Amino acid sequence: MTVIQVVFFLVAAFTTAAAFLVVLAKNIVHCAIALVFTFFGVAALYVLLDAEFLAAVQVLLYVGGITILLLFAIMLTSRISARGVRVMNEQVGMSAVVVFAIFALLAIASLKGFALVGSPPPASYATASLGRLLLTTYVLPFEAVSILLLAAMVGAIILARREREKD
Amino acid sequence: MTQAFNMADLSTALPEVVLSLVAMVILMLDFIVPKGRRDWLGYLSVLGVLLTLMVLCRQWGATQSAFSGQYLIDPFALFFKILFLASGGLIILMSIGYLRGEGADSGEFYALILFATLGMMLMASAVDLLILYIGLETMSICIYVLAGFLKRERRSNEAALKYLLMGGFSSAIILYGIVMLYGLTGATGLKEIASTLTADTLSNPALILAMVMLAAGFGFKIAAVPFHMYIPDVYEGAPTPITALLAAASEIAGLVILLRVFLVAIPGLQDRWALLFYVLSLLTMTVGNVVAIAQSNIKRMLAYSSIAHIGYLLIGVVAGRELGISATLLYTVVYALMTLGAFAMVILLCVGEVKGERIDDFAGLAQRSPMAAAAMLILLLSLAGVPPTAGFVGKLYLFGAAIERGYILLALIAVVNSAISLFYYMKVAVAMYMRDLPPAGLALSPSRPLRVVLFVTVVGTLAIGIYPGPFLDLAKSSIAGLW
Repeated sequence: MTVIQVVFFLVAAFTTAAAFLVVLAKNIVHCAIALVFTFFGVAALYVLLDAEFLAAVQVLLYVGGITILLLFAIMLTSRISARGVRVMNEQVGMSAVVVFAIFALLAIASLKGFALVGSPPPASYATASLGRLLLTTYVLPFEAVSILLLAAMVGAIILARREREKD
Repeated sequence: MTQAFNMADLSTALPEVVLSLVAMVILMLDFIVPKGRRDWLGYLSVLGVLLTLMVLCRQWGATQSAFSGQYLIDPFALFFKILFLASGGLIILMSIGYLRGEGADSGEFYALILFATLGMMLMASAVDLLILYIGLETMSICIYVLAGFLKRERRSNEAALKYLLMGGFSSAIILYGIVMLYGLTGATGLKEIASTLTADTLSNPALILAMVMLAAGFGFKIAAVPFHMYIPDVYEGAPTPITALLAAASEIAGLVILLRVFLVAIPGLQDRWALLFYVLSLLTMTVGNVVAIAQSNIKRMLAYSSIAHIGYLLIGVVAGRELGISATLLYTVVYALMTLGAFAMVILLCVGEVKGERIDDFAGLAQRSPMAAAAMLILLLSLAGVPPTAGFVGKLYLFGAAIERGYILLALIAVVNSAISLFYYMKVAVAMYMRDLPPAGLALSPSRPLRVVLFVTVVGTLAIGIYPGPFLDLAKSSIAGLW
């Protein structure tokens, strides 16, 4: 086993453990904190895949932005952060079976499938070339995403805006 | 590989650019136009849609690839773009009176419908998984918001939440399928994926799993059984024009990307996915029709009926080849017309306190307004597939394609299903013609745009039913060169 492999397994174990904590923790604030560690683990996996830019974005957006937003949402929602909120319902056993069945299916298919085909050719992940690609080859998705974000922003404002009294 | 973006590329996307500009102008005008006069923004949106249609029609018959091969202008895309724009325009027209009735008139509603239509247009032209997914999300996000637009209505909130959760879930499944396809082939272009897959990689378990994931994800989007659980609640709770948008446009958009991905990217697996869609089609039409019988709310009944129609549409996908796919294309038009018409009728009956949502609300409609009752009867007959309406012609070609390709059992079950559907559609007709008008029935006063919608849908339904030739030719010529 190479050093990289050892590091990979450590990071993967850490990420998975944190992810389990996200769904199993009793207190929703603990869940959110565990999510931070999951995101960090994923960022570390990106570094191992030579995708430094993606790792940086992951830390900035997910660890920084999205978790803070989540924590704000938890704090502003009354009674949700109190202790004793049920995180499980009576379907937990059945869903566990389904989840593990799907996991097994995915694991078997991935192990058998990807070993046969081999990995896609390594691309250049340098930030400068990524930026260039975004504005040349991928300009249409890039612009379409900006429309998507505009629509999402308008939608969020509509839903969050306080309804004025009927006049 | 890296190709700078140029004006030729931009001109192929001109209709999309025009439509997004219109939507943004509507958003800005929303601040200027005072509340109560925002009907005008609706009319302006319809004008914008017409303008986009005019720009779009310059691409008639053209086939051109743009944006490094990610975007394709072809007759297939054009066919659906016209359908989506027409549906979008009709939905805006039926929203104008509806929003006023609910006291919720606003430009944002129209702008979001336009953005959703833009997403569908992107989906129609996408030949790259990336742009296809972005189009899908643009459409879905707009509809999540629109479903919850009536914030005071608990049912509208519930609809938005359910649709958001199930939509997010299904998008994740689609993404998983996309990621596996990309991991196996190293390509996101549909053509490139097909050319990378050779005979010995086709039996790869990961590829099969990717196919199943994509089928399940798209199954959620088109509301095929067993991925339909959320549909009745969402349809019932969402504002009625948005229910029409979901049923007539968003599900067809899901079907379009399903056709593109399965026909262009993984045609080598046709034996397997045809079997998959065979089962889905069978389940979808049977469950849809059987459960529809028990409904007393017309929006829920139409929800199950739309599920059943998705089952019919999948027959064409199973049958495949020119015959099956062209029959599917023809039936999307038929389905869109009659669904839009039926939901416009629900809006028409929305007078005062009556929401027009119970089948009982249709009681005595023939005495109240003979014209409206006749229009609804034509739409119901078409939904059931009775000649001389479009529903009959559409089903004839679909079932014919299935028989031609040897799927006799599937065609037989579809015919039985049509017979079952006649029962619950006629329940509404019986209420309209045989039952007495309840004493509280107010006079109907359809707004002018709503009359236009009813006129277009009813005349369209009859026109395709009586003279289907040109529509069938159009459907046939639209799939030339698709795969």
